[in-house]
Amino acid sequence: MTQAQRLAAGGLVDRSTPVSFSFDGKPFTGFAGDTLASALLANGVRLVGRSFKYHRPRGIFSAGPEEPNALVELRAGARREPNTKATCVELYDGLSAESQNRWPSLAFDLHAVNQFASPLLVAGFYYKTFMWPSAFWERLYEPAIRRAAGLGRLSGESDPDSYEKATAFCDLLVIGAGPAGLAAALVAGRAGVRVILAESDFVLGGRLNCETHEIDGAPGSAWARQAEDELATLPNVRIMRRTSVFGVYDGECGAIERVADHMPAPPEHAPRQRLWKIVARQTILATGAVERSIVFGGNDRPGVMLGSAMRTYVNRFAAAPGRRIAVFTTGDDGWRTARDLRTAGLSVECVVDTRHTIAPDVLSLTGDTAVYLGSHVVDAFGGHGLRSIDIRDAGGIRKRVAVDALAVSGGWNPDVALATHLGASPTWSDAKAAFLATEPPRSMALAGAAAGHWTLAEALHDGGTLGMDAATRYGHPQLAQPRFRTSDEATEVQACWHVGGARSKAFVDLQNDVTDRDIALAAREGFRSVEHLKRYTTLGMATDQGRTSNVGGLAIMAELTGRTIAETGTTRARPPHIPVAIGAFAGLHRDTHFKPTRLTSGHQWATGQGATFVDAGQWLRAQWFARPGETDWLQSVTREVRTVRSAVGVCDVSTLGKIALTGPDVGTFLDRIYINTFSTLDVGKVRYGVMLREDGFVMDDGTTARLAPDHWMMSTTTANAAKVMQHLEFCHQVLWPELDVQMVSVTEQWAQYAVAGPRSRALLQQLLGTVADLSNEAFPYLACREFRCGSLPVRLYRISFSGELAYEIAVPANYGDALAQALIDAGRDLGVAPYGTEALSVMRIEKGHVAGNEINGQTIASDLGLGRMMSTRKDYVGRVMAARPALVDSKRPSLVGLKPVDPAARLRAGAHFVARGVPASPETDDGYMTSTAFSPTLGHWIGLGLLADGPRRTGERLRAYDPVRAGDVDVEVVPPVFVDPKGERLRA
Amino acid sequence: MLNLASKSAFATLRSASSGKGVVAAQRVGMAVATVMVRRGRAAALADTVRTQFGIELPTGPHWTAANGTMFLGVGPGKWLVINDAQNSAFVQELEDKLQGLASVVEQSGGLGILRLTGPALHETLEKGVQIDLAPAAFPPGSVAVTSIAHVGATLWKLDDAPIFEIAVARSLSTSFFHWLDASASARGLSTDDRPD
Repeated sequence: MTQAQRLAAGGLVDRSTPVSFSFDGKPFTGFAGDTLASALLANGVRLVGRSFKYHRPRGIFSAGPEEPNALVELRAGARREPNTKATCVELYDGLSAESQNRWPSLAFDLHAVNQFASPLLVAGFYYKTFMWPSAFWERLYEPAIRRAAGLGRLSGESDPDSYEKATAFCDLLVIGAGPAGLAAALVAGRAGVRVILAESDFVLGGRLNCETHEIDGAPGSAWARQAEDELATLPNVRIMRRTSVFGVYDGECGAIERVADHMPAPPEHAPRQRLWKIVARQTILATGAVERSIVFGGNDRPGVMLGSAMRTYVNRFAAAPGRRIAVFTTGDDGWRTARDLRTAGLSVECVVDTRHTIAPDVLSLTGDTAVYLGSHVVDAFGGHGLRSIDIRDAGGIRKRVAVDALAVSGGWNPDVALATHLGASPTWSDAKAAFLATEPPRSMALAGAAAGHWTLAEALHDGGTLGMDAATRYGHPQLAQPRFRTSDEATEVQACWHVGGARSKAFVDLQNDVTDRDIALAAREGFRSVEHLKRYTTLGMATDQGRTSNVGGLAIMAELTGRTIAETGTTRARPPHIPVAIGAFAGLHRDTHFKPTRLTSGHQWATGQGATFVDAGQWLRAQWFARPGETDWLQSVTREVRTVRSAVGVCDVSTLGKIALTGPDVGTFLDRIYINTFSTLDVGKVRYGVMLREDGFVMDDGTTARLAPDHWMMSTTTANAAKVMQHLEFCHQVLWPELDVQMVSVTEQWAQYAVAGPRSRALLQQLLGTVADLSNEAFPYLACREFRCGSLPVRLYRISFSGELAYEIAVPANYGDALAQALIDAGRDLGVAPYGTEALSVMRIEKGHVAGNEINGQTIASDLGLGRMMSTRKDYVGRVMAARPALVDSKRPSLVGLKPVDPAARLRAGAHFVARGVPASPETDDGYMTSTAFSPTLGHWIGLGLLADGPRRTGERLRAYDPVRAGDVDVEVVPPVFVDPKGERLRA
Repeated sequence: MLNLASKSAFATLRSASSGKGVVAAQRVGMAVATVMVRRGRAAALADTVRTQFGIELPTGPHWTAANGTMFLGVGPGKWLVINDAQNSAFVQELEDKLQGLASVVEQSGGLGILRLTGPALHETLEKGVQIDLAPAAFPPGSVAVTSIAHVGATLWKLDDAPIFEIAVARSLSTSFFHWLDASASARGLSTDDRPD
């Protein structure tokens, strides 16, 4: 395949390595070192996309991340990436790209009729037109608009690639490896400073690769290679290629490394991209500058291109943007474009400069080229490609010139967004005709064009000076600052934003199809603040972030409202500076690895027993253990409950929080933490406790055992383990540091199993033999003991959540898996079965024990029937606030039991209580059902609920109002303890 | 008599990749305890540790070790003590020696500990550890209590090879290993040399 527009010689592409690729299904060839954009240009492809709103034909406008037009869908299938800038895509063999936002084809796009309706499609059109009726918005307007507008399509499939995150540290982060960045890295690196040099491009050098400058007598690009080679030998310098710094945050920067974007698919074990957090003591922003466009009629025609981009394509990629080219400039820079184009053998038809006088050395750059001074390009013509331009000369005469490409040069914007992420606004400099970052973050300095220092000599000097500063600051030996020999180029520019008198549409923002008329409309309608202007017209939004358009847009607004640009100001730049795939932020944490998973030491054992697991915070807990023939969870759970109530069951309770509290003052400490008294607890005993938040509401409940005079074991609920630990630490460190108390979590240390049921004593006796006497006399209800079986430490507690005779046995977690099996083996003849959290929950509801559904952050102790535990003889956290009038109101919803009037009816948690015969409303709401279960013991559904003035309403019948599920059920209020209300079983 | 088999935290985990960019060896059979100084007894504790173990008690995020016992500073007045003499009575003996000076709480079963070495170790660790592990910033003897891929971790550097050891909560060992295996996969994670 010929590359018709490839220049015969020059460029930095590797002509010995051809690369095949396709665009819209058509095969092409480029060279290694090309971008997709340069390869398309080299192949003479000018039409690459359709615009956002009007579906106008668009070509390649720039040569970097500022590209507003050349957005393509890269790759296919699940790897399809929409809205990818062709100017940033490194060409690889087999690359396939599709144009987007066109139907049925790029050349013939039916939606292009939009431009004939353009008077309707001005800024604010959707807001104004689709306001009424509001019900139509979701069903009709939005889908229609989304079909017509928008750009690329997502694949809709799961991303097959992986992403990872990493953190790097350095003394000096240099952002951008152009001349300023390379000089800074070289000087600091040579002095031994720990340097990271981050560069978005796949080659270092920045504009050195795109210009014809010389440094120390060598071409700029050769000097860059040499600098890179030297940096690579320095062990204290890390070069991060293909890495874009996208955000500056407190003390750190975010960067995205495109590890495998330049390959068809990542190699095995390689991520596609890597998200970096870079922690640098000092940052040098050497991001250069982006050239601005000029607003005139038809300035979006394919073939209209930034002048600097033309130099890039000619000098770096040896790709001709056209054959007959005109240059339209507001400053000296455009003249260098004309010179370079001529040097490359391309025909420059004319140079149009808005200025009347030009320095002679600038004028001489273009030889005999026709020159129009004090003149403007007013209109550009051509559908799928530029054909001609109209020039209005200094005398106001229009002249048409046939060209196939037009370079525009409206001056430069320093790329300062990263310097403003922490809050400072850029300020306008009339002298530089640009916004400058005059108040960068304390640890950041700007170098070169990013600082508005346009020339190569200034850039090298800035880099060298800042590199020396870093060398001095970080204690490395002073070396003499090297001098780089180069020439100073002329950089005069005269701002010109907008050419009046155009006959065709004049675009300010190519990506969002914002025209000069949209800006005028916004000004007329009062959207004059730049932030309002942006949101009303969409100026400067989306993937290019208005790099080529923002300043022009707000300058026009300034003109229309009679203000200066400085008074008008600019919009606030926020991270990310370039689009970053959300997958990169997720890194490894996707699917089941979204968050870490905690497994108990008996997890494998439970898996072997056929457990179904449920998420409990980070933990996985066995929910039930289905047996062959059981087809429904309720069958399994009912069997497990019956086994515990009639024989014995084993349940893994290792996930409950366990906190070791040690020291002589733990008793006092616990008295202040819990509402009830603990200092009186004997060694070898366990007590149930409730703790409040400072605001008087219940925080958590659980048991605390006293293993030794100065060693206590607190248990918390699974859900609140970390919160309670934090609470205890706070109380000790902040409120009562004088108490001699130490604490540490031992949740991980102990595997703990509940052994519950009338045969639980027999099972444990079988397991432990003569090591422990488990008789009621020796080891009564609420006893605890620590002992050893051989060298194995064992802890035994006689506590019960199920209401049956029950124990909890704990061993170090290394032995947890074996203990579970040993318990089952010991209970085989006793009819033992493992049970899960569902059976646990059924039995606690049968016993009226409160859990997370009741301890929900809105209940106080007396709401839960625990009011009598609140000691009146001591102070404790939450005591004072719990006495607030609203919290001691007897009408508060309080814990009751509920059963259906019709024994066959099913109860559902969440149903609200309403008196029978009364319409349900917030005014008649009497509380709600918190927990429900099918009670195998009673043979019908039961519930717990919080009912206004509840305990006094026993026997009353109510409606459980449930409009969103199966409907209402009549229920009867009963005491909350359904099974063994006298507690005879657990003391058996 | 109850006789149970021990299973360490990383016992069943195997690398999915090949190569020896990172070599992970599980440390098993260690006695581990949390030691927390009693109020006002810091100086006495330091004296006792010096005489009993020949160890200068670290006062910051550092470790010191002698004769198979290592004290790691993991917080103000708080140490993780690790003994690799396969002595199941070690924690009890430690408690006796520090009686009245510090609280000693057994943690031998609560942690999974890996010893990590290999040429790709640094590039692997920087994918999860958000602290500076460069030799100058984190010399041998350093300890950090941090988090790796949302898993709480204590890591310490043994020498400049470098050899690192990382302790994570036992329940999170599977999630931690997923991070380690994925992060080391480019150059391979080897778990072959584990002692069990």
